[in-house]
Amino acid sequence: MVQRLKEVDVVVIGVGMVGSILSKELAAAGYKVVGLERGQTRFTVPEFQSPAIHDELRFDIRKALMQDNTREPVTFRNSSSQTALPVRRWESFLPGTGLGGSMVHWNGQTYRFHATDFQLATHTRERYGKGFLDPDLTIQDWGVTYDELEPHYDRFEYLLGTSGKAGNLHGQVQPGGDPHESPRSREYPTPPQKEHFQGAMFRKAAMGLGYHPFPQPSSNLSQPYTNPEGLKLNTCVFCGFCERYACEHYAKSTPQTFILPVLLANPNFELRTGCQVQRINLDSTKKRATGVTYIDAAGREFEQPASLVITSLFAINNVRMMLLSGIGKPYDPGTGKGVVGRNYAYQTMSSVASFFDEDVIINPFMASGASGTLINDFAGDNFDHSGLGFIGGAFIGAVNTNGRPIQYHPTPPGTPKWGKGWKDAVVKYYNHSVMFSLHGSSMSQRQNYADLDPTYRDAWGQPLLRITFEFPQNDLKMAEYVTARGVEIGKAMGAKQVAGAPRKGPYTTQQYQTTHNTGGTVMGSDPSTSVVNRYLQSWDVPNVFVVGASAYPQNASWNPTGTLGALTYWVADALKNKYLKNPGHLVTA
Amino acid sequence: MTRINTQGWKGALVMVTVVGSCGIQLSTANAAAAAAKPSPPAPPAAAACQACHGSKGEGMVEGDRPRIAGQAAYYLDKQLRDFASGSRQSAIMSPIAKTLSDADRAKIVVYFASLPMPAALASTAPTTAQVSFGRQLAFEGAEAKHVQACDNCHGPEGSGVTFSGPALAGQLAPYLAAQLKSWQQGSRRNDAGSLMSSVAVRLDDADIAAVTSYYASLGK
Repeated sequence: MVQRLKEVDVVVIGVGMVGSILSKELAAAGYKVVGLERGQTRFTVPEFQSPAIHDELRFDIRKALMQDNTREPVTFRNSSSQTALPVRRWESFLPGTGLGGSMVHWNGQTYRFHATDFQLATHTRERYGKGFLDPDLTIQDWGVTYDELEPHYDRFEYLLGTSGKAGNLHGQVQPGGDPHESPRSREYPTPPQKEHFQGAMFRKAAMGLGYHPFPQPSSNLSQPYTNPEGLKLNTCVFCGFCERYACEHYAKSTPQTFILPVLLANPNFELRTGCQVQRINLDSTKKRATGVTYIDAAGREFEQPASLVITSLFAINNVRMMLLSGIGKPYDPGTGKGVVGRNYAYQTMSSVASFFDEDVIINPFMASGASGTLINDFAGDNFDHSGLGFIGGAFIGAVNTNGRPIQYHPTPPGTPKWGKGWKDAVVKYYNHSVMFSLHGSSMSQRQNYADLDPTYRDAWGQPLLRITFEFPQNDLKMAEYVTARGVEIGKAMGAKQVAGAPRKGPYTTQQYQTTHNTGGTVMGSDPSTSVVNRYLQSWDVPNVFVVGASAYPQNASWNPTGTLGALTYWVADALKNKYLKNPGHLVTA
Repeated sequence: MTRINTQGWKGALVMVTVVGSCGIQLSTANAAAAAAKPSPPAPPAAAACQACHGSKGEGMVEGDRPRIAGQAAYYLDKQLRDFASGSRQSAIMSPIAKTLSDADRAKIVVYFASLPMPAALASTAPTTAQVSFGRQLAFEGAEAKHVQACDNCHGPEGSGVTFSGPALAGQLAPYLAAQLKSWQQGSRRNDAGSLMSSVAVRLDDADIAAVTSYYASLGK
């Protein structure tokens, strides 16, 4: 028996970073908002306190903060000719669950994409000509520009208190920052975190090669900060337990530290946890959402009517919510028609390991999730791709985030994989190695997509999301090229041995790479190639907004969170200033 | 040779590499071991400390002179340097710290760090409710005030973390309270990242009385 609840103005599906920011904006504007979160309520005190929060077995290995894949996994295959199987153990990517969402276990790396990223198709054609691009790639412009997003990037960074050094203020290049970045209107709210030793080694070597190293923008803060919401964050203590963990010190910017206390104090907002949303309900015309149906932790089914539905789930779950709700035409890779699930992309991660003599002491455990040093000289389109046969790039950096004993044990190639030989090498190299991350872009391609699995269902009987993905040749060529540049830097640091590991296919879900899944409900200006318009409003059902990295038409060379924060405030403005004053299509196709 | 902080689960407060084999120690773990052994002879320069902090560094109730026995050598060394440079203010400690040579300071801090942590000295009798509330702040923190657990940096039951927070267990409550007030008012600022002032400004007098009496009650 479905219980029908009293109608509210807005229902928000998923109370993570996007959900909590949008809820706060709309509740403060006077709208009645209900936030539905499938996971549990959790706060810095008591849930995130030490020593329990530093349990590497529980959080790193057993993935305690992640989506429960005994009840709700995804299925995966490399190509349409295969049968997908459920991912029973998260490894490649780690979607979170619970209040605050995946941001609770993020590293705090807070980048902006560059102006050319938002007009990638147009820019590539203009710079390199029509025939340059691999015809399998389905990259496209975002329908929004960097200049339009800049004030929202700024607002997001000041919400978080991000620690960094501007490289370009109003078009003027700033010493010490990233000279390649697109113009900022202001300096970062707080100065960079302290540079660790491997960062200093990297900086010296990169400068010697003529590159432009800069401190990683970090939302693990370098000093105490009070944000515009009046919330106070503390200084990070470099404990090295950011990614996969929650912060015990109020030093990492997460919804718990930068917005939730304000949101939860607003009587216009109601949080309901343990609520598994089954679908967005549509009226008989299929052009208007009437609310959502969810099942609570006791197994009771509810219908929550609402005038406006915002799905603010982790990227892949946004795609699934649209497919389960029958909003938008599912993508068919055979015909190339349809949009929902189209342009699923990821991140092309490579690495370079440099091994030193025992007199070079790295102390890798003295780190935060974003206290590194890096270069953008080979990221995005910051270098000439003529004759290279690919587009995109990677940042290269000594951005190691931890030295945790179970997960961190670099050894040179040729080391035995187990036994005494492996143990001896771990002891020998643990404190004398530097790992570079080469954080590469991911181009969307015709064959990569997400749809509903025909076989496997979740604990509530709903079809799982099926991901079909393989690295495009374009991205593997990019990985090869940037890894060679990384090896040169490792050698310039004076390492005894440098091992480059460019990303190779086939893609596997069994090796951690990064939790940067993008696409599937992409934004754009053409309804035949996008699910949502430039305001992340559904083309088909205009009172549904789909806000997440699922909107990215392809993924750029940087961590996606900063751009998602900017898009979130961009949407908040559109909702408050346009949509809610006059509900309807914000863009005419 | 260079030593590293082996307490990876707690992490390090400051980005330092300690050079020299100067006996950086984990306060409580070694205190137990040290208790079984006869104490090493005090270096002559320690006499200047013993007059106020006690012959075994146990502290004195009169004058709120803190216990220094069993405190991490790194912490004692930093405080003495800070007293000497003026980055930590004390009319009594600064002149003494200024007269110490580097060699004497190194001997003194290793000596007091090697001594067992003595039983707590009680100057006041806290109520059970105070101790209980203090333990909650120390162990768990207070979400409403955005105060994290003291033990996050000061170690389980305030036992200290070498490069992070000093040991608080068994310390004199009035001394701890005076320090929290100093952090709160900004008269003490010799930590990294203003960590202590960030916490102290969120504590009220009842919080301070509770948490300091809890730590003072440990180690008996």
